[in-house]
Amino acid sequence: MKSMTKCFYGSLVISCLAIYSSGVFAWTSEDKSWVVNGFLENSTHDRHRVGISRSRTRGQLEWSKSIGSVGIFKGVSMNGVLRASYDAAYDLNDDDFGDDAGSAVALQQVGVPAGVLPGPFAGGVPTAFVPWGGGFPLDGGVIGGPTNPNTGLAILGGDLHGGNDGGAILAYPVRPCDEDSRGCLDGYMDADKQELAAPEFNDRADVIREAYLDATLPLQNGDEINFRIGRQQVVWGRTDLFRVLDVVNPVDFSAQNIYEELEDARIPMGIFNMEYRAGAGDIFQDLNFQFLWKFEQARPHTLGQGGSTYSILQAGNFFRAMKTCWDVGCTVGNFAFGVAATDFGPGQIGIRRANTPDWEIDETDVGMRLEGVYEGVGFSANALYYNSHLPSLRGGITSTDPFAPPGTTGVFPHALAFDIDFPRIFLLGGSADFYLDEIKSAFRVELAWTTGEEFANTLRPRLFSESDVVRYVIGWDRPTFIPFLNKSRAFLISGQLFGQHILDHELESGPLGKVGIPDWEDNWIATLLIQGFYQNDTVQPRIITAYDVRAQAAAVAPQVDWLISNNWRLVVGANFKFGTGAREFDDNRSALPYAGLAALAGGAVGGSAGLGGFEPLGRFRSGPIGMASAEDEVQISLRYRF
Amino acid sequence: MKKIARTLGVSLLAFTAGNAFAVSDEVIQQSFYPYNNWTPTFDGYEPGVVVNQSNVEKYKEILDEALYRFISDGWIEIKTAPTTDFPLTSDYVEATRKYSDAVTLNANGTLNGYVAGRAYPQEPDANDPDAGQKLVWNYQYGFNSGDSETIEPFWWTYRDMKSGKVERVLKFSWHFMNFNHRVTFEPKPEFADNPGEIYRGIYSRVLEPFDLKDTQLLIHRYQDDTKRDDGWLYLGFQRRVRRLATGQITDSFLGSDLMIEDFEGYNGRVSDYNWEYAGTRNLLLPFYYHNEMELSSDPADDPDGYRFVDVEGKGNCFPKVTYQLRKTYTLIGTPKDPNHPIGKRVINLDSQTMTMASLVTYDKKGDLWKWFPIGKAHSDHHHERNKGMGVALDDFAVLIDVQAMHCTTLQFKSIITDDVNQPRLFSVQNLRKSAR
Repeated sequence: MKSMTKCFYGSLVISCLAIYSSGVFAWTSEDKSWVVNGFLENSTHDRHRVGISRSRTRGQLEWSKSIGSVGIFKGVSMNGVLRASYDAAYDLNDDDFGDDAGSAVALQQVGVPAGVLPGPFAGGVPTAFVPWGGGFPLDGGVIGGPTNPNTGLAILGGDLHGGNDGGAILAYPVRPCDEDSRGCLDGYMDADKQELAAPEFNDRADVIREAYLDATLPLQNGDEINFRIGRQQVVWGRTDLFRVLDVVNPVDFSAQNIYEELEDARIPMGIFNMEYRAGAGDIFQDLNFQFLWKFEQARPHTLGQGGSTYSILQAGNFFRAMKTCWDVGCTVGNFAFGVAATDFGPGQIGIRRANTPDWEIDETDVGMRLEGVYEGVGFSANALYYNSHLPSLRGGITSTDPFAPPGTTGVFPHALAFDIDFPRIFLLGGSADFYLDEIKSAFRVELAWTTGEEFANTLRPRLFSESDVVRYVIGWDRPTFIPFLNKSRAFLISGQLFGQHILDHELESGPLGKVGIPDWEDNWIATLLIQGFYQNDTVQPRIITAYDVRAQAAAVAPQVDWLISNNWRLVVGANFKFGTGAREFDDNRSALPYAGLAALAGGAVGGSAGLGGFEPLGRFRSGPIGMASAEDEVQISLRYRF
Repeated sequence: MKKIARTLGVSLLAFTAGNAFAVSDEVIQQSFYPYNNWTPTFDGYEPGVVVNQSNVEKYKEILDEALYRFISDGWIEIKTAPTTDFPLTSDYVEATRKYSDAVTLNANGTLNGYVAGRAYPQEPDANDPDAGQKLVWNYQYGFNSGDSETIEPFWWTYRDMKSGKVERVLKFSWHFMNFNHRVTFEPKPEFADNPGEIYRGIYSRVLEPFDLKDTQLLIHRYQDDTKRDDGWLYLGFQRRVRRLATGQITDSFLGSDLMIEDFEGYNGRVSDYNWEYAGTRNLLLPFYYHNEMELSSDPADDPDGYRFVDVEGKGNCFPKVTYQLRKTYTLIGTPKDPNHPIGKRVINLDSQTMTMASLVTYDKKGDLWKWFPIGKAHSDHHHERNKGMGVALDDFAVLIDVQAMHCTTLQFKSIITDDVNQPRLFSVQNLRKSAR
């Protein structure tokens, strides 16, 4: 906390000096056609037992240029947002997130007495924590050497379960990719320190956050067609925090997991956005048709790479562990027969590569939305054909058989060898909002059906399967007076219940446990916001809670937002997690992908028997709240708006 | 089919009202031109007198209860001027002449047969139990903003009344438009495509400060008074339109001293209150010629050189304008909802314009809570574009919360225009279109 205070005040002083020395003010041109404003902000988070997890100083410049009528178009304007930031957490806390992060690791080996197992384990396996490269050798002895040293590593999920649960234990490199290239996924999760700290300066030119042209084509019948062309955010849906229909833009979860404002977290994309505004007619109070074509090369969510300050589901950590296995080999705790730490060589298990989408016309995203108001009820019907923003681990790639003579390769069913792909998804959905005066409440509902999504599935030879998914949400908003707390201003009480149903869910009982899709067939997340307003709305305390029903994990985020003046805003908050963190699921250790292994085990080549642990698939049961349960934080941010 | 029936009904009403039931000229003259042959007076009062702490007792009867208290306490002294005529547009007067006789009250207090103009131009009758209800309908279907009005800029200034400190300034663009009952702007009397039967659209956009910039509010008020308004809010920081729970209209609006229910004097459903006519009296009201007032230096960058009415008095909460003696109807509104925070609203309705020129609000205990005068400017003595519009323009308002010693002043640049006020502006989609 002390370091946080020091850091915050340091950043504050720098920010203030920058503001005053540069005389930063909003600017409007004399003819008022140009308007420029923006903000400068420092946001600093202190994570329990970790220290500074974010000290991001961010500057944003928002500009617009009104042009007026041009030919047959009216209301022509250019608009844009430039953003640059630097997260000093990678410098201030480089022991955890920067060049000096990580350490040597020892991986659990639960061991077994002599005479229990066959073959090389007949003499027993000692109970121990073995160093990186100290497992049962299938790697030819490359692990632990100069190209793959036991430094800069961390136990996957170690902050949640300690890495001593008897399940599969993995380790991942945590340093930025310029410091340690192990496990970096080219074109997907390969950020160096500068890119982690200043993510806008990347090869996608994210410093140009938004830049688009607006124009309206008036039609003779009074209707009009609006165009917005360029890099932009397209917001579908009516929800907060989680998304059902709001899936046009990918999201940067590396900024602050699921807790960043979506406005700041959405990744703007180059989109041709056309809306035909029919307006009111005989039946509808308002009717509009929207067509979208995302012409910028598709990009997935930014999940946060292994070792970054935030990594939703710790997926980036897992990927980095697996990519390390594929590239340079790795030691996996409790792997062989579930008892022996095992050293895998390159190309045996892991993630080979991430096949990020190329730009091809048939790989671009298209969407349509019909939206209107009928009898006071707002509604929309939505369709989107798009590249998944989430990765799918597809097995069934060519890999090396560790139980065959060196150099024996093939496609081995149930082998832990993957490529990351981003499947094409078709979404069909709708939404509505309405008000019920009897209970003085506004309601929001959304429903979406998708086809093409892929899930990890240990029942399948390629360890994934496709499923249709239905997601839905009902949101409830009610301004409510709580007179003993504030007699003149109502509190906003807003609740949401999100649901997900995996239609082609597969889950079976194996001899050693459940086998199949780790994600819950049905799950729900409930959120509740209570927000108050004091001092002419300049002081706004609020509390946000979220509860993952099946994961039994909760997050509570109290916050006070103080608008010091029209320019200065201070936000002090916290984010605490409760409930179950890590959860277990089949980890495929009990599969027998290779003939040699099957012979050794006295069984037949085949899939998993259900032996499981926390890693790696338990994360899909824990969900984003449960997987971040060790990330309690206090947060402070100061923004100068101009 | 519903629309055809309604159109037919309106036509029939127009025909019958235009022939058999036309209201008498005497009633019209008395209602719309009360100052043609008459000037309100009060013993000892001469226009031009400054009413202050030293002489306020003499004028107690021509001051509303709150203003009397403020002058007594030395918070303000008011300058007075001769009573002047504020005629409404002849289109509205003619619509009254044509249609008002066909208007009746339904058992639930709503109107039947209303087309346009003033629903009840007759002098209220103290013996009529529905007199209050009729008066409030005159306000509800009044010509407060004409058929269509744009207020930009529209400054809301939050002030600490004790220290005079300005705490916050919100700058808006604000638009009002009637979808029906129109008398001035085409189409008259209504827009053809209005399946939702919206009576009025209110659209506003925050221009400053930064934390609220681009916030937009849209309200649809329906023809059916028993139906609750629909409302949507576009929040810049969320970039999405959020449905509003419009039933909670006693909530402070954006932290100001105004409840949503306070807009324009009264912004709720007629059916939410019991209304009682409590007599006719002559009161000093802030009616004036804007161009003759001592104006503020704001907004300094107005392209037309327009300047707001200035502020003065305790906490700079009072308008620096002249007051004139005018005939008013006192209307007492009592909320039907027992949980409503207001005990009663005492509304002084200007008889000529049927605008709520001053409101005094009492809490549940009966203590004075808020004062809300709305300064009215003559449209011929205001911005050039308002000349001949025949609207008593909203020009300055203040809501003083006496108990909190706090006020919110509202400074307007009101223009009666339909330049941009078309149904498309009052659509949910417009919120998204106008968004960044």
